[in-house]
Amino acid sequence: MSFLTPAFLIGISALAIPVLIHLIQRERKRVVVFPSLMFLRRIPYQSVRRRSIRHWLLLSVRALALLMLIAAFARPFFQQGALAARATGGTREMVVLLDQSASMGYGDRWQQARAAAHKAIDSLSGDDRATLVLFSRNAEENVRATTDRLRLNQAVDVAKVTSGATRFGPALKLAQSILGQSAQKVREVVVISDFQKTGWTGAEEIHLPEGTTLTPVSVAGQPSANVSVPSVNFARASFSGQERITVTAGIVNRGDAPITGLTTTLDIDGHQIESKPVNVGGNSSTSVSFAPFTLADSNVRGIVKAGTDPLPQDNTFNFVLTPGRPLSVLVVAPREETGDRSDPSLYLSKALSIGTPPPFQAEVTSPVRMAPASLDKRAVLVLNDTPFPPALAGGALKKFVEQGGGVLVVLGEHSTWPQNDAALLPGTLGGTVDRPDGRGGALGFLDYSHQVFEVFKAPRSGDPSSARVFRYRLLTATPTSRVLAKFDDGAVAAAEQRTGLGRVIAWNITVDDSWSDLPRRAVFLPLVHQLLRYLGRYEEPAAWRTVGQVLDLTSGSILVGTRRDRVALTPSSKRVTLATGSGPEFLELDEQGFYELRSTGAKETHPPVVAVDIDPAESDLSPMDVGEFTAAVIGRAGPQTSAAATAEQVTPQDLERKQALWWYLLLGGVLLLATETILSNRISRV
Amino acid sequence: MARLAEGGAIPGARFVDPVVLSRIGKLDLLARTVVDGFINGLHRAPFFGASIDFAEHRGYVAGDDIRRVDWRLYARTDKYYVKQYEADTNTNFSVLLDVSKSMGFTSGGPSKLEYASYLAACLAYMAHRQRDRVGIVTFDEDIVDYVPVSAKHFDILLHTLDRSKPQRAGSLSGPVGKMAEHFKRRSVLALISDFYEEPDVILEAIKPLRFLGNDLMVFHVLDPAEIEFNYDDASSFEDLESGEQIPIVPEALSAQYRALMQEHITALTTKFSEHRIDYSMLNTSKPLDHALFSYLSNRERMMRVR
Repeated sequence: MSFLTPAFLIGISALAIPVLIHLIQRERKRVVVFPSLMFLRRIPYQSVRRRSIRHWLLLSVRALALLMLIAAFARPFFQQGALAARATGGTREMVVLLDQSASMGYGDRWQQARAAAHKAIDSLSGDDRATLVLFSRNAEENVRATTDRLRLNQAVDVAKVTSGATRFGPALKLAQSILGQSAQKVREVVVISDFQKTGWTGAEEIHLPEGTTLTPVSVAGQPSANVSVPSVNFARASFSGQERITVTAGIVNRGDAPITGLTTTLDIDGHQIESKPVNVGGNSSTSVSFAPFTLADSNVRGIVKAGTDPLPQDNTFNFVLTPGRPLSVLVVAPREETGDRSDPSLYLSKALSIGTPPPFQAEVTSPVRMAPASLDKRAVLVLNDTPFPPALAGGALKKFVEQGGGVLVVLGEHSTWPQNDAALLPGTLGGTVDRPDGRGGALGFLDYSHQVFEVFKAPRSGDPSSARVFRYRLLTATPTSRVLAKFDDGAVAAAEQRTGLGRVIAWNITVDDSWSDLPRRAVFLPLVHQLLRYLGRYEEPAAWRTVGQVLDLTSGSILVGTRRDRVALTPSSKRVTLATGSGPEFLELDEQGFYELRSTGAKETHPPVVAVDIDPAESDLSPMDVGEFTAAVIGRAGPQTSAAATAEQVTPQDLERKQALWWYLLLGGVLLLATETILSNRISRV
Repeated sequence: MARLAEGGAIPGARFVDPVVLSRIGKLDLLARTVVDGFINGLHRAPFFGASIDFAEHRGYVAGDDIRRVDWRLYARTDKYYVKQYEADTNTNFSVLLDVSKSMGFTSGGPSKLEYASYLAACLAYMAHRQRDRVGIVTFDEDIVDYVPVSAKHFDILLHTLDRSKPQRAGSLSGPVGKMAEHFKRRSVLALISDFYEEPDVILEAIKPLRFLGNDLMVFHVLDPAEIEFNYDDASSFEDLESGEQIPIVPEALSAQYRALMQEHITALTTKFSEHRIDYSMLNTSKPLDHALFSYLSNRERMMRVR
């Protein structure tokens, strides 16, 4: 309830007058002189009796009459509720957007937000409807348009702060959709949030329906200090055949006051291995390096903690470390490795022995010596200008590819391909084509959108087309294949065929310097590495992921080599079954902590683990201007839908005039005064 | 008496009420004890004198008046005996009047001090009429006025009564102690007060008055409001003497108050009786003539019994 002339409320102090009349005045007016209080003093004094009010009814009537008269003069009116709805022309459709991002866990912001949500819900009356939308990175319609306030309040009580980042866009889009479908005339959006700057880019296209009122409720409070660990770097070094890791953590202090002696600790597999005091200036950052430790096992969990503050979630940074795993490559060449220039695998072998990560573990063999078991635990098979090995016939190669193996077929003059496995090759083999004219041929088209050539996309990052090609093997691409590169004469230079989980790439030039000078070019090394990484499905193992990311269980390196039924154990100890083939292919990482991917069958000492941290943007608690936010949201909705326009349509004066509560209050006050007169007359007669 | 009742000539003559005196005029104010006096009067003197009441015989000694020799006894015993008779004398009558502020209280009729003044004047008049010497001492926490006993001081006594104003707080022990030192002769003393002190304290205070064999009469004057406590509304009660105020709800306290007051009166009655002091409680709402007649009648009857 609001008042048009609240200054009259000062008159409420006049309520003390009847009380004074009853309590004080009636005693003061009578002082009885008495010869001696000798006997009266001996009688126990009954103060309660003395101060008690005898005519409660009379006092209540007087006080109430006075209160009603004062309230009448203050001109009350309802801005919300049934009366307001009637005055403004109908029932309301309200959408309550409640921010549950990680930053709302700062201090008592969440309690304030819930109280504000309850207040907004309690303002509903009659047939007013409300929808509760909980949002952080995404928006979720928690309770759909209902008049059931109890249900809405219960939903608010049950809601919790999540680890997600703040994004206003999806929530406002959802509100826009809900209000757009509503037939109610009065539409209102209540946004309850700490209004982090990082949650609003300004590029969100929000078009709230015409006449919508936006009510922002900020719980940001005063500028808040916050310490966070936004990232961690690892320096890997090899020592005695094992990796030694040096962890360097960044510490950010977003408060004005400098912090001295901030305790920063590093926990590895649940054991604190080092603790360091750190000094961080106000509104600045620093880094702290911990002593190196040996990484012996895979999936080792690490946590960096930096002190405590009202937002503890960003004081912790989780990560997972695994020793670098070499990519096993089997090169099948027509001749054994000789190490001289006649060796067709010379450049390839040299290229594979250089560079990290990942290290390539290459083995060169001949088609004759190759056995089906040679493919065990191999990631990539390279058929380097060689006849099709007999050992791979009969479906062995197909099985290898379907299970995720990669094959690089370097087509030379010796290359053959059996008809049975023709579907594995991205095209049909043809003869050799010479390009002796002038300076020879070159690569004329490269599919830079492909992962193999992606690294050459940027300027001055290497140009494979600079290589001269004098001869190549003709390949007619099949419709199901993807052409990755073409020569300048239009012939296919490289093509890819996917079968099952595996990939086969045909490369139409030999990898020695007889057909082209590519092996002697600088781009050869990254090109070979990219080809083999792609075929080997190598992914840089992420030490951590951010809340909101989705884990692709089919392509990630997380489950490479361990494909069996698994159960994902979330940080809050929920179990998500990841059955091979039938289970979900994606796992949404919506909690901070460690997701453990346990095997349902075999026992594992270190099962695959995914570390998840909150978005570093959540640590930046600086709020945006709520007025600007409102203007930004409403301003894009057109001139007639702005809050100002709505306010102009129904002013407080209009509301008060239409509701005319003062009239009832005045009448009630007068009636009470009449009652008081009758009552007091009767009492005085008695 | 008529002259006094007109009240114009002597200040305080109004206290000698003809109505009262007409009722008690036939009574005498006699001392219950032996008193000293100079002239013949109504009271028994400690000496043998020339009254009609035979006292005893004693042997004749040279110098005795031979008219007092009991010849009948000489005839029987052949020895000279002289007859001795009781002596009757007049006495000193002093009024000890409490003029403390509490005595100024009234709930509608005459104040306690006025009532006490009427009482003192009537008693003094009676004493004066029977040729006793009269005097008055007024006191509150100290002695205020002192009129020595004299056969000629009745007018001054009335004048003193007229001038008496309740001005200060009262206390018995101080002034009564001083008075006791002044009464050298055995006298009849009438102490008039409202006795707002503990009975033991009162008794201790007035005991010295009894040491010389004085005949002490105590009049306890109370207003009906003090006895009945018939107040209705909750009020602040202010002590007349100290000015202290206490908020009181009479309807809750009246029964207890009346009980305490009755207990006080009973205690005074008992204690004074034990010490052979005449005690009389006078209610100012009752006519003085009735009260005084009743008291004096009782006193006379008691004298006869003795």
